Amino acid sequence: MKPLLTLDFVAETMKEWGTAEQVRHNRIRITATPETVRTAIINARELLECDRLITISAVDNGKTLELVYHLTGPHRSVISIAIELPRDKPEVPTMSDILPPAGIYERQIHDLLGIVFPGHPDLKRIMLNEDWPLEEYPLRKDWKKDPGTFYGGIPGERI
Amino acid sequence: MANVIVPIGPHHPALKEPVNFRIVADGERIVRLELDLSYNHRGIEKAAEQRDFIRVLPLLERVCGICSHSHSTVFVKGIEEIMELEIPPRARFIRTIIAELERMHSHLLWLGVAAHEVGFNTLFMWTWRDREAVQDTLEEMSGNRVHYGMNEVGGIRRDLTPSEVNAALARLPHLEERIREYAKMVNDQETLLIRFKGVGKLSRDEALAYGAVGPTARASGVDYDIRRDDPYLAYTVVPWNVVTDTSGDVYGRTRVRIGELQESIKIVRHCLENLPEGPIRVNAPKTAPKGEILSRYEAPRGELAHFIRTNGTDKVERVDIRTPTLANWTSVALCLVNQNLADIPVIVAAIDPCLSCTSRITVVNPKDRTTGIVTFDELRKQSHLRASMQERR
Amino acid sequence: MTDPLLTILYILVFPGFVFLLMYSLFFEFLDRRITARMQNRVGPPFFQPCADVVKMLGKEVIDPDGVDRRIFDAAPLVALAAVMTAFLCIPVGGNSIVRFQGDLILVLYLLTIPTIVLFLLGWLSRNVFSAIGGIRAVTQLFIYEVPFFLVMLAPALMAGTWSVSEIAHWQQENAWFLLLQPIGFVVALVCLQAKLERTPFDIPEAETEIVAGPWTELTGRRLALMHLAKDASLVTGSALIAALYLGGPMTPWVILPVWLGWAAGFFLFLVKTLAILLVLSSIKVATGRIRIDQLNAIGWKYITGAALVQIALVLVMNFWQVGI
Repeated sequence: MKPLLTLDFVAETMKEWGTAEQVRHNRIRITATPETVRTAIINARELLECDRLITISAVDNGKTLELVYHLTGPHRSVISIAIELPRDKPEVPTMSDILPPAGIYERQIHDLLGIVFPGHPDLKRIMLNEDWPLEEYPLRKDWKKDPGTFYGGIPGERI
Repeated sequence: MANVIVPIGPHHPALKEPVNFRIVADGERIVRLELDLSYNHRGIEKAAEQRDFIRVLPLLERVCGICSHSHSTVFVKGIEEIMELEIPPRARFIRTIIAELERMHSHLLWLGVAAHEVGFNTLFMWTWRDREAVQDTLEEMSGNRVHYGMNEVGGIRRDLTPSEVNAALARLPHLEERIREYAKMVNDQETLLIRFKGVGKLSRDEALAYGAVGPTARASGVDYDIRRDDPYLAYTVVPWNVVTDTSGDVYGRTRVRIGELQESIKIVRHCLENLPEGPIRVNAPKTAPKGEILSRYEAPRGELAHFIRTNGTDKVERVDIRTPTLANWTSVALCLVNQNLADIPVIVAAIDPCLSCTSRITVVNPKDRTTGIVTFDELRKQSHLRASMQERR
Repeated sequence: MTDPLLTILYILVFPGFVFLLMYSLFFEFLDRRITARMQNRVGPPFFQPCADVVKMLGKEVIDPDGVDRRIFDAAPLVALAAVMTAFLCIPVGGNSIVRFQGDLILVLYLLTIPTIVLFLLGWLSRNVFSAIGGIRAVTQLFIYEVPFFLVMLAPALMAGTWSVSEIAHWQQENAWFLLLQPIGFVVALVCLQAKLERTPFDIPEAETEIVAGPWTELTGRRLALMHLAKDASLVTGSALIAALYLGGPMTPWVILPVWLGWAAGFFLFLVKTLAILLVLSSIKVATGRIRIDQLNAIGWKYITGAALVQIALVLVMNFWQVGI
């Protein structure tokens, strides 16, 4: 097994696309922007040997929507690439062609938080049931249930 | 026969939990697969944002019945790391014991279910009988057969008495002998061999590319195990090995799981014999500092990842759960194409799907503290209401 | 022939329909009990199969949308009637009253009817699972029918007669066919397991894959009759193999008075059929289900091959005896 990646090596390699910090002994966090994140991931795959996607976490922190891509590789360190998206137009290009597991995670995030991934082959419902009203993203902090509509057959006032 | 759509689910005897696979089949060969996972979604991630650290643990435990301890341990481990708490060694050992007992009961359950899917009911009855020994141990230790409720932030809630330790140790030799029998049976039994070998093959590159985790990936030769790569609890002080195999088919996954069963027995025995004395918990602060952590754990089905973000209050701001079954679905969809219709249950069962983990909807009415069970009359009223609404549109 | 009243009693009561139904319920109980004990469970009580049939007869009959109700009602009756008629030709104690030259062929023909009925039901159920199950039933029929017929004909070739009762009688003077044709006996047991659609050959009714196959849309009294037909096939199949290979109800030497010989023969018949049931249940417990394409490979290569070898051996032995 290979040794863990060091902060200097990662900061040096990825300096064009984001700033790096070491948050844990085996995890390095890189802050990038929605425009540069795709190239950052492609380069992380090649230069840092991160060929496995652990998960894509999505957070709504009240002001913006954040996405964190966690990658790992044979060196067993975790590289987290974090971006922030504006609430009114949350769009980031899809990673499902470079990292196939991303397809299912992006579908789930789109379903629950409403982030759009242009270029995704099949962005339809996966978590919520088929008669959940469109354009309602329950995991957002500002989602309020509407007493008049039915969420999956259950009226809004019962949720 | 022309292409036929065979619906597997949401109600089907092969499935233990509802999921909808719509299989497009040409005779007995599968052409395409469409997946719909929403039947068990319970909105747990959103509910967890409204509960403080004591109340959120029972909720997170109930994400899944079989890997309940995994979810609560990974969350508690993450919160303790954000709070920079060091839990006492006795608590770590007991958490490890419960974790490995859970792995054992999960793998025995899986072995029975896989045998049942190929019609070999004898092995199903035998493994589930032996699983009762593990369940009895867990019931003695924690009071419950599932949802043990042993964890809390800062340690564990119940201690193990010496009589419980001895009773558990007394059950292990018989279990070990039975598992050796099953290992032999899996290698020799003709019908199991012809149904398992060569079925659902996943090569090493495919497993890596599609992000398979857990025994599914280890059976294809991908050597990832969080207990060794990102160690936690007592796995650094207990001697154990990672079990891998190179076949990549259902037979390989069976062998990996039986190997893990044998390793788990060794770990449990070592921990029970060398249980350190001392306190079982430290006092934890009520609120957690602002922070973010990716906490990972090797659940029986694979790598479980909780991404936790705290904001200085006593509730989490976000817990994002990525379950191993979700990571394995893409590889299932891949290795089902061009297989036989008769092999669908075996291949799906081989990744050990836990659909409660995958989708995470109960309706809880916080005002009058009732949980939502929609009655038949309500359903009928709603259907009339919706029908009239649709007419008006 | 004998007194017509005796014939009617023979057909309807003993050893005809009433005996067959009671014996098949008893066989089902024994089968389930043996399976359960081998799987370390308790198993059902003695009257369970009877209770099941009575319960099923009383349940509501549900017709799926658009199926032909008359065929659905008639088909299980046809299956049960075919199996019961086949049983009449098999000797139970002494010779069968309705025997004639060629009744072996009649028995074999009637025993295929339940499978054809299953295919028909599967096809007409307008249900994807039933259609697949019906197709699998007929595919399985093609695979095992050839070796089954061959090894059922091998004793007939050696005994020189086409009547089941006379083949059983032949074994009383010579040796059992179990000793003379052991390959045939093994092939016969395997093919009987496939005919009865029991594990490892319960492919048409694979519960975990296609719900219940052609049995999916059977409810109420249709299911009860089809269930009885399956049980009766088990008894008939075991009795057929007992008659052809184990000497049936024939005692090793002739016992006088006649009624005592008859009673001893009947007792032997019970013992032999129970022994065959024990073997079949053990096979069922010890194996898992195989796939239809694997059955195809195994059936044509090994089972039919063994049956052909058996027939060749019988022809050689006949030729050798005639030559000497």
